Amino acid sequence: MRKYKMCMIPAYSLENVQLLKDRVILPYACYRLFGECFSIVTHITGDYPYLSYLEGADLIPLPKDRPHMDAAVSYVSGHSQDIDLLFLFGARGEYMELARTYKSLRPDGVIYLKLDTNIDWANAYPLHDKNFSAFLEDCDIISCETRRLQSFLYKKWLRPVEYIPNGVYYPLYPEADEIQFSDKENMILTVGRLGTAQKNSMMLLYAYALAFPALKEPWELVLAGSVTPEFQAEYDRFCKEFPPLATHIHLTGHISDKQTLYQYYKKAKIFALPSRAEGSPNVFSEAAIFGCTVITTGVDAALDMTDNGRVGRISPNTADVKGFSGELLSLCQDADYLACNFHEIRTYMRAYFDYERLADRLRNLVGLQEMKRRRS
Amino acid sequence: MKIITTDTSISLEESGQNFTLLEKPTLPDYSNVTKRPYFSFYYSEGETIWRRLLSSMAKFRDFCQDDPYLGCYALILRRLYPLLLSDNRAKNLTAYGADTDCMAYRVIQDFMTFLHTGSALTALARSPFSLMALSPGSCSALLYRLDTCPAPAAVCDAINRIKPGGLLLLYTIKETVPVELAPLFSKAVKDSFGPCTLYTLTADEAVLDFARENGSEAFILARASEITRRAEDLHSLIQAMLVGAALSEDAYFIAVTILQQTEELLLSLYDYLENDELPVHANVLKEAVLNYEAEIRRPSSLTVYREKLIQKSEIFFAAVEQEFLA
Repeated sequence: MRKYKMCMIPAYSLENVQLLKDRVILPYACYRLFGECFSIVTHITGDYPYLSYLEGADLIPLPKDRPHMDAAVSYVSGHSQDIDLLFLFGARGEYMELARTYKSLRPDGVIYLKLDTNIDWANAYPLHDKNFSAFLEDCDIISCETRRLQSFLYKKWLRPVEYIPNGVYYPLYPEADEIQFSDKENMILTVGRLGTAQKNSMMLLYAYALAFPALKEPWELVLAGSVTPEFQAEYDRFCKEFPPLATHIHLTGHISDKQTLYQYYKKAKIFALPSRAEGSPNVFSEAAIFGCTVITTGVDAALDMTDNGRVGRISPNTADVKGFSGELLSLCQDADYLACNFHEIRTYMRAYFDYERLADRLRNLVGLQEMKRRRS
Repeated sequence: MKIITTDTSISLEESGQNFTLLEKPTLPDYSNVTKRPYFSFYYSEGETIWRRLLSSMAKFRDFCQDDPYLGCYALILRRLYPLLLSDNRAKNLTAYGADTDCMAYRVIQDFMTFLHTGSALTALARSPFSLMALSPGSCSALLYRLDTCPAPAAVCDAINRIKPGGLLLLYTIKETVPVELAPLFSKAVKDSFGPCTLYTLTADEAVLDFARENGSEAFILARASEITRRAEDLHSLIQAMLVGAALSEDAYFIAVTILQQTEELLLSLYDYLENDELPVHANVLKEAVLNYEAEIRRPSSLTVYREKLIQKSEIFFAAVEQEFLA
C-alpha cells in the first residue's frame, strides 16, 4: 500500500490550540494511516505544547521576514517533491497562488481542500473570479462538513464535494472509553465563546428559565468558555431577575486545560448548542463521545449531529426560545431516553465521526483520484 | 464603429477602414418597387424597400451606438436581406443571446414587418434551455450571439430549430471561437469588420446532420444510456457484496470507480435532471461502499455500514429508475 508524503499549510499562521482541531487532526489521522511523513508548515506564533500529542509530525517554521502565504508559496516551490498530498483548510483566496504553484510543479500530486464553511460563507465565494475558480479546479478532493452543505455545493459548483464531518480522533480521548452513564449528573452543558452573536448564549439562559418551573428534579446549567463583557452584564441582570435560578447556573470562564473540560463532558447528560450559525462544531463531537445527548438549533450540521433527530433533538428556529425550552424540558424529563441515548450517540459517533475511519475513506478517495488521472 | 448610409450605399467605417455592406441595385425602376409588389402599389407613393433599409440602418446607428455589437447587427441585416426578400411569405426568425429588449431586435422586427406584416422575430431568454423550447425546424433564420453561450451543444440545438435551407447567423466580438465548432465554421461564410464577426451558415443536409449528432438531445440520450448501463452493473455488484458472494479483490474499487463516473455523468446532465439530488445520491452511495469496504477489513466490524449500504443503494437505484426509466 502506497505511503504518502503529507503536508498541511494553513492560510494563516497556526496557533497551538489549532493543532488539536480538524485542520490538523484529520491530516494527522491520514498520516497515521497512510503517511510516510507529515509536516505542518506555518509561521510560528508562540509555543506549541500540543505538538507533543502528534507523534511523528514535523512543525516547519516559515521565515518571519515574509508574509505567511508568500513564505508558504516559496516553501512549496522548493519542496514540492517532498509533498505527495497537500492539505488545505478553507476555500480562501490566499491559497490560490499556493495551489497553482504546487500543481504546476507536481501535476501528479493531490490537493485535498477541507472547506470549513457554512452555507452563508459558501454562498459568498467569488465564483465569478477566474483565479478562484481555477483554484477550485486545482483541488482534487474537496470536502465539506455537513450534508446540507454538500447538497447545496453540488448545485452551486456542479462538481463532486465529499462529506467529511468534523470528527474525533479517539486516541486523544482515552477517558471517553471509560465513562459510564451512572457517572453523569443532571447537568446541561454548553461550551463556546459566550456572548458572541454566533453562539446565541442568552437564548439558552431564557430557555432554561422557561423550563425551570416544570423540572421535576433540579438540573444545573453550566456555561463553559470565555465571556464577553456584554454577556456578563446580561447574565448578572438575569440572575437578579430570577434569583431562584441563579444558584443553578454556573459560568466557568475560559477553560484552557482539556482535562477540566472533559470532566464537564463526563458529568453532563445534555449538551446544548443554541447557536445562530455553525458549520460543524468541534464541541459537538467532543460532547457526543462522552455520551451527552445533544439539543441544537437548526444549524447546518443539526441533522448530521442528531442522525436526523434520532440521537438528539433539534429546535430549528434560532430565535424560538419557547420551542428550544420545550425540547430541553422534554429531554430533561425523559431519563430512559437519555440513558439509552448515552450508548446510541456514542455508537453513532464511532461509526461516522471517527477520524481514523474518515481517514480510511480519504485514502480511498486519494487512490481514486490517482487512478482517474492515470486513465486520462 | 459607424454606419454610413447614402442614397446608394450602406457601409461600416472604423479607424479609417471601410466595409461596404450593400449597394442599391441599379435596376431602372427599382426606386418604384414598394414592399408589396401588387399592381396597385406601383401607382401609390409607398416607401421603397431600399429607403426602409437605409432607415433601419440609421436606427441601428442611433439606438445602438454604444453597443459593441453594432457592426454585427449591420452585418446580420445585410445577410438577412436576401432571405427576407426571397419570397412573399411571412418569415419566423429567432434571436438568442442578447437581452430580449435589445433595440437591434426591434429594428430588425420593424424591417421584417415592413416587408410582410406576418413576419416575426422572437427573442429568447439568455438561458440555452430556451432553445429547447422551440419546435425543431420552426424558424427561417436564427440569430445567435456566440459570446453568450459558446457551448457547441447549444449551437447545434439552435441549428436544429432552423428549417432546411434556413440560416444560422452566429455573431461574436471575440477573437477566438470554440475549436469544437471548427467543422461548422468551415462551412460558413465569414464576414468580419473591426471586432465584429458574423458566420452565416446555411442549414443544408451536412450541417443538419452535424447538429443532430452534436446537439443536446443526442448528448442527453447517450449520457442517460451510459448512466443506466452503469447503474445496472453497479446493482449486480452491490447485491453480490450484500449477499457475501465471492468477489474479486478489486470489486469494491470497481464499484466506487463506476459510482465516481456516474456522479460525473450526472453532473454533466445536471441542468436536465428532474431530481437534482441524484449526483449527491451517487456520492452518498460511493461513501457507503467505501465505508462498508473499510469496515469489513476491520476485526470488529459494525453492522451499521451494511444497513447504510442497503439503504443508500435503494435510494440511489430508485432515483435512477424514476429519472431515466419511469
